[in-house]
Amino acid sequence: MRHASFIARTVLVQNGNVEQAVRLINRIMGREGFLEQYRLTRYYEKPFQTRRRINYTKCKAIYNEDMDRKIEFLLRKNRVEPFPGYC
Amino acid sequence: MLRQAILVPRIFSFLERSVLGSGERAGGLLAQETCKATCLLCGPQSSSIKRPLHTTVPRSKAEDRKEMLASMPKKDEGTEGEKTIDVDLLSKRFEDIFPDENTPSRLFDGIPYSQLNICDIKATKNNTIISLNDHKGKALMLRSCGMEGFKNTRQGTNIAAQATGISLAMRAIAKGFKDPVRVRVSGIGPGRMSAIKGLSMGGMNVVSITDSTRVSFAPTARARKQRRL
Repeated sequence: MRHASFIARTVLVQNGNVEQAVRLINRIMGREGFLEQYRLTRYYEKPFQTRRRINYTKCKAIYNEDMDRKIEFLLRKNRVEPFPGYC
Repeated sequence: MLRQAILVPRIFSFLERSVLGSGERAGGLLAQETCKATCLLCGPQSSSIKRPLHTTVPRSKAEDRKEMLASMPKKDEGTEGEKTIDVDLLSKRFEDIFPDENTPSRLFDGIPYSQLNICDIKATKNNTIISLNDHKGKALMLRSCGMEGFKNTRQGTNIAAQATGISLAMRAIAKGFKDPVRVRVSGIGPGRMSAIKGLSMGGMNVVSITDSTRVSFAPTARARKQRRL
């Protein structure tokens, strides 16, 4: 899919702060998976490697989801500070 | 019951310090004597104490957190060769950052955005090539890391890319291409960020940054096999 030139995947520079704009576009591209996909398609990934990678990603996602739920649950509290003066 | 004779006097001397106050100096022999007098494990009342007493050296929250953050693996931003810092998007005004339907006709130094010169940066693993083109696509200038004097492996570095950016910017201004420029980056390589930095250091007025890395999420022609080192 060809993105529209200079409209998609574009960041305007604010106040001459080029560094910030570069970081922003790198961050967005990285977060959306473009850079990861680019690295994967450099060389051919054999089907057995693809299956391994996808299964690993799935397991990791399940684990992270449950761990985040657990942490969120444990952080729900409204008690007196157990260790006063510890900071 | 385990008697940790070496550990206990030190720990209790600290506790004694807090109990006795600033007037008393709890160090060396004095600590041991006071320790034996009041210590639960080795003092006169030790026979009645059966369970072991353990304490830890008090640590500050900041120390703990710093240690934990240092031990965590570094987050991969997705661009090799460059280290980036997170940008706080909440403090930005989104209308100014991303282009919209009015941007092509928006004026930068009196020139509409759609007619600004384009600076194409091709950042590969081994080299970085920067070219300055017309808005129609006509080539105006071309510089690469090899032209700056770097050879072979040294071409694929961020220093070389920065030097190339500076050189192109200075030559462009000398030739008369002083107008604002929109940058178009292609590829992931060491010179991706440094080339743009070099351009702005050399005096070029960079107005926008576009990423035109050729990426396909659909099945493509079979790429070459993986390198086995």
